[in-house]
Amino acid sequence: MALEVENAKLPYLSKCRLIKQGAEARVYRGTFLGKPTIIKERFSKRYRHPVLDEKLTHRRTTQEVRSILRCRKAGISTPVVYFVDYTSHCIFLEDLEGSITVRDHIASSQESGRDPVCLNTLAEQIGKILAKMHDEDVVHGDLTTSNMLLRQGSGDAKPELVLIDFGLSFYSALPEDKGVDLYVLEKAFLSTHPNTEELFQRLLKSYTQSSKKAAAVIKKLDEVRLRGRKRSMVG
Amino acid sequence: MQLNSTLELYPDYTVTQLLFKDVKNAAELRKNAMEGLVQGALITPSMIVDPFQILVASNKAVHLQKTGKMKTRSLFSEIIFNLSPTNNISEAFKRFGISDSDSAVYVVLVYPKEDAVDASDIVSKINGQQIPVDTISSLSDAAKIKKFYKVSPQEEGVGSLLDAVICRMAIKDVM
Repeated sequence: MALEVENAKLPYLSKCRLIKQGAEARVYRGTFLGKPTIIKERFSKRYRHPVLDEKLTHRRTTQEVRSILRCRKAGISTPVVYFVDYTSHCIFLEDLEGSITVRDHIASSQESGRDPVCLNTLAEQIGKILAKMHDEDVVHGDLTTSNMLLRQGSGDAKPELVLIDFGLSFYSALPEDKGVDLYVLEKAFLSTHPNTEELFQRLLKSYTQSSKKAAAVIKKLDEVRLRGRKRSMVG
Repeated sequence: MQLNSTLELYPDYTVTQLLFKDVKNAAELRKNAMEGLVQGALITPSMIVDPFQILVASNKAVHLQKTGKMKTRSLFSEIIFNLSPTNNISEAFKRFGISDSDSAVYVVLVYPKEDAVDASDIVSKINGQQIPVDTISSLSDAAKIKKFYKVSPQEEGVGSLLDAVICRMAIKDVM
């Protein structure tokens, strides 16, 4: 077992630049059909049974691209999917060159002590887009300010908010799942950005105003805050 | 005039794209293609937004051939099938293959570098005027494309028509 060969890796990836390594996947930057491209490679987990591992990896790859398309169809910006290789579990995505994460944007705005108005606008923009996503029954599963990018539009246009990393996403109409989605964001948001309680409230307010189904979700969010994101006490 | 590209994932392969207008012998070309006499894919230009769309379809065709997962019988029919947003093979040929009444044709050749294909062989068979492939937008029918790929105005707000088309082509096998 110890000598088991590494999962068949694409030779192509050796020409790409590794930019991030997570628990689930490696992210590379390269060129694909002449365009700057991000390649997300899900690698195998050797502690899992190979059959289960293959099944989980395949399911997550397909769910990721399905959610991306569903979001785009609803008018939510996500990177374009160029190609999916289900053999090596690689997704080839549009590289949003020159974009910055919402995380970095908030951090630098706080540091420079700039007018908080622009951050308020951003929080409202995020609330609105998440409401739209939840109305499509897409639950992101890993909402953080690092998984939101700002793409500068042409000229003086307001930067566009782009959602990325749908690796843990799934379809659900349950307010419970959407509530947990917001709870995960709240935890991440407040721990990444100190003193932003007010800003996050603004985000939730905008979410509530943008979705007809928001009341049930916010009610669940309040419940989840009291008990944590796991529903039952077992497992 | 013609566009030659290398596939990064399969560097041994070359994709050549050619475009013709004022074509007089579409019916004959289609017949030849059906009989397997044409070593290339003949596509109706009205359904093509950009040469990148052809590259995406060609790359996927070579990939599926290499991994033994093609849905159709040849590399060229697979390119046509990959352009379609649905998994219906006959519909893909009807929409994206050339038809007898077409007056323009988009030709795609895909071949390994070592046995390079001479494009002039195909050029001589086509009774029409060759034009640069990057003028494809003058022959594409955006309204027809939007309808067939079911692109909503909301989606056009977040990206180009090409983006919408590429996403559907890339994801259709798991829809």
